[in-house]
Amino acid sequence: MSETNNQTAAGSAGTTPPILEVRDYSLTYGGPEQGVKVLDDINLTIRRGETLGLVGESGSGKSSLAWAIMRYLPALATESDGAILLSGENLRSKSQYQMLDIRGRRIAMVFQDPSMSLNPTLRLGEQLSEVLIRHRGLSLQQAWKEGEAALARTGITRPAEMMKRYPHEASGGEKQRVVIATALACSPELIIFDEPTTALDVITARQILQLFETLREETDVSALYISHDLGLVSRIAPRVAVIHRGVIVEQGQCAEVFRDPREAYTRRLLAALPRPDRWLGVDQPATGAAPLLETQALNVRYGGPSLLDRITGSAKQAVDGAIDVALGVRPGELLGVVGESGSGKSTVAKVLSGLQDFRGTVRFDGRGFVRRRDFDRRYRRAVQVIFQHPDSSLNPRQTIGQILSRPLKLYGLVPAAQRPAKVAELLEKVLLPADYARRYPHQLSGGEKQRVAIARAFAAQPRLVICDEITSSLDVSVQASIARLMVGLQAETGTACIFITHDLNLVRQLAHRIAVMQHGRLVDLFDTPDAEAPERHPYTRALLEAVTPPPVVAEAPVDDLEGTGP
Amino acid sequence: MTLSYLIRRLGAVLLVLVIVTFAVFAVTMILPGNAAVMILGEYGSPDQVAALERQLGLDRPWYTQYFAWVAGMLQGDLGTSLRLGMPVSKVVGDALWNSAVLAVTALVGVTIIAIPLGILAAVRRGTASDLGIGVLAYVGTAMPEFVTATVLLVLLAGPATGLFPAGGYVAPWESMSGYWAHVALPAITLGLVMTAHISRQVRSEMSDVLSSDYIRAARLKGLHERRVIRRHALPNSMAPAVAVISLDVGYLLGGIIVVEEIFAWPGLGRTLIYALENRDLPVIQAVTLVLAMVYALTNLISDIVIALLDPRVRYD
Amino acid sequence: MTSPFRSYPGMVGGLLLLIVGVAALFGPWLAPYDPQQFHPQVRLQGPSAAHWLGTDQFGRDILSRLLHGAPSTVFFGIGATLLGVAAGTIIGVIAGVAGRWVDSVIMRIIDGFLAVPDLLFTLLIVTILGGGMGHAMLAVAVAFTPGMARIARSAVLSIRTREYVLAAVARGESSVYIVGREVMPNAMGPIIVEATIRVSFAIMIGATLGFLGLGAQPPSTEWGLMVAEARQFMFRNPWMVVVPGIAIALAAMGFNLFGDALRDSLDVRRSH
Repeated sequence: MSETNNQTAAGSAGTTPPILEVRDYSLTYGGPEQGVKVLDDINLTIRRGETLGLVGESGSGKSSLAWAIMRYLPALATESDGAILLSGENLRSKSQYQMLDIRGRRIAMVFQDPSMSLNPTLRLGEQLSEVLIRHRGLSLQQAWKEGEAALARTGITRPAEMMKRYPHEASGGEKQRVVIATALACSPELIIFDEPTTALDVITARQILQLFETLREETDVSALYISHDLGLVSRIAPRVAVIHRGVIVEQGQCAEVFRDPREAYTRRLLAALPRPDRWLGVDQPATGAAPLLETQALNVRYGGPSLLDRITGSAKQAVDGAIDVALGVRPGELLGVVGESGSGKSTVAKVLSGLQDFRGTVRFDGRGFVRRRDFDRRYRRAVQVIFQHPDSSLNPRQTIGQILSRPLKLYGLVPAAQRPAKVAELLEKVLLPADYARRYPHQLSGGEKQRVAIARAFAAQPRLVICDEITSSLDVSVQASIARLMVGLQAETGTACIFITHDLNLVRQLAHRIAVMQHGRLVDLFDTPDAEAPERHPYTRALLEAVTPPPVVAEAPVDDLEGTGP
Repeated sequence: MTLSYLIRRLGAVLLVLVIVTFAVFAVTMILPGNAAVMILGEYGSPDQVAALERQLGLDRPWYTQYFAWVAGMLQGDLGTSLRLGMPVSKVVGDALWNSAVLAVTALVGVTIIAIPLGILAAVRRGTASDLGIGVLAYVGTAMPEFVTATVLLVLLAGPATGLFPAGGYVAPWESMSGYWAHVALPAITLGLVMTAHISRQVRSEMSDVLSSDYIRAARLKGLHERRVIRRHALPNSMAPAVAVISLDVGYLLGGIIVVEEIFAWPGLGRTLIYALENRDLPVIQAVTLVLAMVYALTNLISDIVIALLDPRVRYD
Repeated sequence: MTSPFRSYPGMVGGLLLLIVGVAALFGPWLAPYDPQQFHPQVRLQGPSAAHWLGTDQFGRDILSRLLHGAPSTVFFGIGATLLGVAAGTIIGVIAGVAGRWVDSVIMRIIDGFLAVPDLLFTLLIVTILGGGMGHAMLAVAVAFTPGMARIARSAVLSIRTREYVLAAVARGESSVYIVGREVMPNAMGPIIVEATIRVSFAIMIGATLGFLGLGAQPPSTEWGLMVAEARQFMFRNPWMVVVPGIAIALAAMGFNLFGDALRDSLDVRRSH
């Protein structure tokens, strides 16, 4: 696949005139004196038919750059000199009124979450055809016809029907196709893609990426592809610009940047990319041991049609959160659980952490549990859970010290007098300064909060830790350090772990075995080295194929990894 | 809109009404000084009281009284006014009509004025018109009806101007213009508070819509601002606006009691105050029930309108 | 949380509350005259150097009457709200925490009560209990209870699914700890905001009851009562109705503005 990229790159580089050129551009929010500089001396060029990937973490200024190009900036934004040229015309000298004719016609945009960027009360067809009416002066009927054709080009099988639907009647992938069709409708010179697959499931995201590649080959459109994912960008863009705190720290051909990253930040990003071939996890525990935790015929069912629904024939169906799930974790093992949203992986986590009623049996350490209420404090102490969102997993009204002391007190592990010392020790274990004990959660960064959540789980001296998507709301570079921290603690304490994630690349670095879930069922369970074996379940194969393999790079120095400040 | 959604909403409304009948009945049961004493006055002998209680059925257990009352209501028999000696249905029926004229006039005026004001404030956010509408809204919501009414009377019904009558009622068949002149001030009083409140709510709903991702997306498609507002923003802010208005009908029904009393308008409010002063139990029960029913039905209608406006609810 | 005084509504609201607070706490001592003292020579006068806000039909000083009426008017609103919030919060928290059928039953009953307009509800209760300030305050408190219960419940429900609460449940904490230490401290924000705004409604309802003769009784100079007594003379001396009317509006507006500013600074959205 990288060959095609190189060809495209060779074909377009240098020869054709630039479509987008940003020169010496800086942007500040707030006043010129005390404001925050969000973009600093930006220079980049995109030529006809070329795709430039713009990679940065949250707060890097990558979205601000998109707004600046669209000339859609908040009132408190101050721009320095510098120019933004579209086919040679300086957009900064255009009035907002002139920009109306440019937006949607010459520059279009595709947003992160199609369920947010589509108007819930308008039919998809109207939202697509209105740009044609506005910019190409078509009549309503012509525009509708044209819209159907545009939808067909994005791979929607029944475009006429899709045109008549409302956003909530379409799937995430279908909605994003509509957004892309809208962006392409007026054959713009440039399309800005702002994380167009981040809100989608792995397989859908993969299909949208394929669509992007096809459309780029068919049309001559230039693209600025904004993403936090270096691996993904390396797949679809021949050239990449890495942005960090408002500065483009590195820019060049993907192949070169990855082979020989010049900047420390780029190296850090590359090193943080999960790579299935680089094992991070602890050594394989003894395989013969009896399972520490086991589920038998675990079933969870959410809601169901009420009596009234049945009488009136409403089609409200019960949702199966889990169907006959049988899983086992051995002592000291890390079991990966993967699946798309709604696959039941989080349901299993909820059942095992005693938050969800279930049918079936959970066996732990020789004891059996058949109801949620059976889980006693002994079980709850031994099985700890860490949640996805660091922002909501710590009580905002308690200090870190109070939060970490709580399990020590609750389970009677440490007498009151020694708790502060123990808290300091726990903080040290998760690589946080001891004086954080006096801080409140809002004074910590996302990664730091997640470290505290990990420390809280390990404070209970558990035998099993359930990690429910603990890295997925963090930035790439922080994700890697959190994963390493988990593994480090596991190695130190010998705790078993159920690691739930949608990131296959990551889980292959950590897990001894991987369980794959789909529609509430466990469809596949295998030893990690066998991930690519031919006997894998078709769904497992589909998931694996959907994942972007990380770019091939030279081995990155590991010591860069820990440099993740707030 | 599915049938099941409609049935569920209708069921909820019925349940609310059943609970209201219980509440109203319970409240009036514990009113001190029972009806028989009220009718006979302080000086009725215990024997007379007991006899009248038997005659009125007040000596029966409470649940028998409750079911008799509910059964009567279902047949349109609301009992007899203790003070006026007339059927309650007649007393309440006339008053209901007069109140409805007042309330609907106020509501229509408010809807015509408040929604555009709120939208204007949201679209022109941060400008002088937004500030002006905001200040008016704050002042309006802080004025109880009796203050607004009195100030309006001083300004428009005083000897200096004398534009409107200070209160009372003229039947429409005697003088149509006189009738509406008497409606004007109470309706304006009721409308002012609601206009203030609704315009503020509509502004905040509309502001939320205007700062949403899909409005940004519509603007970035190069659409004219007029189309963005009319086609993209307005339909999304109308459903919450309807919800706000229907909730405000609650204020309206409370306000109507005071306003009718001040302007001597022979509606439900005035009837209620008179009944409260005279402990006319059947009338108190009937008026309370009618007001609660109107409010519950308004909420039902607003739910249906919202479902028609918002496709997400419709297919829920 | 940013300071609520940073915004214009917060500043104006704070200033109004300061004025109203001073009047409510020190009004009787600040008053230049005895509120009941007759000045027969200067009846129904407009503002003058001697009587800043004019005089009533007996020549009593309106400013003095206003200042003497401030405590009963303002503390009525605060007292009624505090009672209503306390009762409503307890009911709402029980519903929100218990869930299932307890929640359903409580909420259906509350829906029933909410179908009766606040003022009507208050009037019914005042009629049961008989008029007077204490009873009126209780009546407003009872009328506020269902609405507050609903707000408290929705605050609890939105907190109950936060991950730190789930973490506490998963840890095996007792219900008392979860409600008292994890849920309530975080659910108080919307409740306090709503309570602040409701003080303004309570002041208005209290004044309305006074106006209707069901609340404060003469010789009190509660502001609603002042308006009621002035109505007879409103065309001869409009100041008599305008002054207490504006005073009520300013007090109500102060709490309203400040509540809104508080909501913005706590970043809670009002749930209807």
